Amino acid sequence: MRRAPGRGLLSTVVGIVLVALMLFPVYWMVNASLQPAGNTLRGGWFPSRPDLGGYVTALRDQGRNLLTSLVVALGSVALSLGLAAPAAYALARLRVRGAGLVLFGILITQMVPGIVVADALYGTYSDLGLLNSYAGLILADSTAGLPFAIIVLRAFMLSIPGEVIEAAQVDGAGQLRAFRSVVLPMSRNALITAGVFTFLFTWSDFLFALTLTTTQDVRPITLGVYQYIGAHTNQWNAIMATAVMASVPAAVLLVLAQRYVTAGAAGGTVE
Amino acid sequence: MISPARPPARRIAALLAGATALLLTAAGCGGGPAPGEVTSITVLDYYTDEPEHTQWAQTLSDCGRTAGVKVEQTSVPGASLIPKVLQQASSRTLPDLLMLDNPDLQQIAQTGALTPLDRYGIDSSGFAPGILSTGTYDGKVYGLAPYASTVALFYNQDMLAEAGVAVPRTWDELKAAAARLTRPGRYGLALDANATFEGTWQFMPFLWSNGGDEKQLDTPQAAQALQLWVDLVKSGSMSKSVLNWTQADVHDQFAAGRAAMMINGPWRIPALDKDKDLHWAVAPIPVPRAGQTPVTPLGGEVWTVPQSASKARQEKAARVLACLNSPSTMLALAEQHFTVPSRTAVAARYAQQVPSMAAFVESVEAARARTGELGVRWPQAATGIYTAIQSALTGQQTPEEALRHAQQIATGG
Amino acid sequence: MRSRSRPVAEARSGERAARWMFLAPAAVYLLLFFGYPVVKNVVMSFQQYTATTFYTGSAPFVGLQNYAKVLTSDLFPKALLTTALFTAGSLCGQFVIGLGLALFFRRRFPLGGVLRSLLLLPWLLPLVVSGATWRWMLDPDTGVVNAVLRGLHLSSSGIPWLTGTSQALVSVILVNVWVGIPFNTAILYGGLQDIPPHLYEAAKLDGAGPVRSFRHVTWPLLRPVVGVVLVLGVVYTLKVVDIILVVTGGGPADATETLATQAYELSFRQFEFGRGAAMGNVLIVISLAFALVYLRAGRRARSVREGIA
Repeated sequence: MRRAPGRGLLSTVVGIVLVALMLFPVYWMVNASLQPAGNTLRGGWFPSRPDLGGYVTALRDQGRNLLTSLVVALGSVALSLGLAAPAAYALARLRVRGAGLVLFGILITQMVPGIVVADALYGTYSDLGLLNSYAGLILADSTAGLPFAIIVLRAFMLSIPGEVIEAAQVDGAGQLRAFRSVVLPMSRNALITAGVFTFLFTWSDFLFALTLTTTQDVRPITLGVYQYIGAHTNQWNAIMATAVMASVPAAVLLVLAQRYVTAGAAGGTVE
Repeated sequence: MISPARPPARRIAALLAGATALLLTAAGCGGGPAPGEVTSITVLDYYTDEPEHTQWAQTLSDCGRTAGVKVEQTSVPGASLIPKVLQQASSRTLPDLLMLDNPDLQQIAQTGALTPLDRYGIDSSGFAPGILSTGTYDGKVYGLAPYASTVALFYNQDMLAEAGVAVPRTWDELKAAAARLTRPGRYGLALDANATFEGTWQFMPFLWSNGGDEKQLDTPQAAQALQLWVDLVKSGSMSKSVLNWTQADVHDQFAAGRAAMMINGPWRIPALDKDKDLHWAVAPIPVPRAGQTPVTPLGGEVWTVPQSASKARQEKAARVLACLNSPSTMLALAEQHFTVPSRTAVAARYAQQVPSMAAFVESVEAARARTGELGVRWPQAATGIYTAIQSALTGQQTPEEALRHAQQIATGG
Repeated sequence: MRSRSRPVAEARSGERAARWMFLAPAAVYLLLFFGYPVVKNVVMSFQQYTATTFYTGSAPFVGLQNYAKVLTSDLFPKALLTTALFTAGSLCGQFVIGLGLALFFRRRFPLGGVLRSLLLLPWLLPLVVSGATWRWMLDPDTGVVNAVLRGLHLSSSGIPWLTGTSQALVSVILVNVWVGIPFNTAILYGGLQDIPPHLYEAAKLDGAGPVRSFRHVTWPLLRPVVGVVLVLGVVYTLKVVDIILVVTGGGPADATETLATQAYELSFRQFEFGRGAAMGNVLIVISLAFALVYLRAGRRARSVREGIA
């Protein structure tokens, strides 16, 4: 596997070109967001005179929706991790009857299209008054995060040495203490990975936002972008500015939590 | 469909609505002061484009002031208004005051979501019969439109002069002119052929002026009208993007100089006027043969008061609705949006005051209501028509095949 | 003995209950948000469940009428074919490019790790954002893609990306490929890392070039992972609604309507919940067929991996 240094550099150059090609749409989004508004319908290759008008419009129209998305995403992270961590522990370390069935169920959830879930929830939510509510969206959005979190956390907890846990378990009531004081702290990295992905899944949710909200009250940013496309076709700078703002969490997490993101992308699903 | 079951249905709906309201209030989502002292009402419309959006916000808040309420306006794109209304009707979150495009009123009234306006003592006398009929279902008035409008041909005077093209009056002239006006980066004509009722609306003047009819779509007259659009796209005089454009996009293309002519409505005039370098004018929609009069569809939005749990809110909404339809507001709106007041006496006064609008006043008076023949079955026919437009313009079907299919959609279900 | 064993047994059953308490909340959630919707969807698909149901509260059972209407509509065969093409096209593109990138990034070079994680960005962005951006880029008249093609003299009039029926399908596939590449790259890269290096060295000693070592070492050992990636890809692609709604809205002339977008259209734009549910169930059946393949592939992957280890 050893190579001449020149060849490594060549690979770097090729790699940069490939990544630049792949990320061109992201560049174009940023570029379009900095073009001035108006009816010109076309922009330059570079935002030579960056115009923040698009961001001003976007923040005015969509600022609240960004907050909504943040609340829903954080709520979903809390709910998913809160349910997934103990479940993953039970599936990994406690010999629970029916564990196999639950694992099988989690696999099956991946085959259920979101539109089917939305179909059924719409009527029920309508009766329960959960349409247009944070709670309703958080619950529905966790359908993406929870199964993923269980899989990631279980995979990690399987790798915790048994003696460590056994040492902490004194009796039946000790299960909870072992879980809280040993398993959870040791699973910190896996929890972060699961949390990061749950956050991104929920932040990106479109289908539930589209189907389970009917008014402006609780409106995630993804729906804001979608409605912008229909309504303000001549303000592509504002649409793209909203798109850029909606991309911020993904970009920030990719930089700050790179390790966890890479782990989640490679792990989880295959194991 | 639900008329036999209506009285119990209403009761259940009211009960459910009450229960929902209770739940929401209990959950802290209802908010606001106690029933009785209504300080604000919600409004839903499709005026998303500027300057229309701001102008309507102003008018609504002015009328709200006369009724003593704050108006919270929400605007959604035209194509998503009806799905939104159905969704809100089913979740009982309809606004207090609802705007509908006039051909949709009967369908929505049929579901029982709207209240008849006589309940609030609103005066609907003196309205032009055409626009009043679109707001009427089952003999009762559910919606009133402050103004009516229709579509026409807008053209860029500089481009026509430069190409030495006269304003087209017939279909042949339209094809020839559009071809001669087409340049790299510019199309001769822009219109809206998208897969929504907007596409259908723009097609109606071509269908009707050629003797076509929505009751029977698979006729040679209809096929010829559709063939005209196909020819315009095939010859490259019209962008294939017409398949996706909304009327707002069509406007943007024209305003950006990427189209020399467009089919659009007079409510675009304020936006066109903003651009001082754009020299444009309006002409009637070209007709099949010289000397014919175009038959155009009657446009305009009706305002309605949906069913709700709160009588007090409904009363307030009705007062705002009455204000919107008062002679003075109607005149102001018409002047703002270059449309035609729907009370005939006001329209006559308007034609005198603004002579340049006299032609529009006349054409609106002759305009045909889309629900005139089919009533609640219009949406099905309209769906058939835009489906046919899409199939024919993409070349999937010939106009004849496409319209045969359209007729099936219109009559089937 | 007997008198002492009873408390132990009690403690055991208490402990079993305590263990269950760890699992129960998640299990209940899964039942409520996956089990219940699937069951309710089956029930709804036999009912006339429409907008008026919300007013009248009644949804009469109509037998197989919804299925009959959905399966015999002109749109169904069209949507089925579109779904098949969309899925196959997306998978091919994602997989081939993803594998290429995974193989490329397997070699070590400066900045390799950073570049590899940057590559994940398209996958992490909200699909609506990607869709909106691509829609802007693919606009036939003003988009940058046609501008580049014209600039390179590859196309004089531009390609009707969003307005031609077959081109629009290509467009949504293109966008879905772009979104899916990072996921494929990441999983396949992980699979490649699991292949023991000594196998390559042995192949090299046998005089195998890169092509032969790919054919005889990489591919056979990667195959279980490939199976998983492809089947997961099918299952995820069948569900896609966002990208299509944003990029083409299912048009032009319904050319990009898939089973999933049809289910959405029926339920949430026409408010024909019964028919939407029927369409959703057709989608689930297709997904389940692939699920079986997935489970078998998963088992095979595990056994192969255990074999290596």
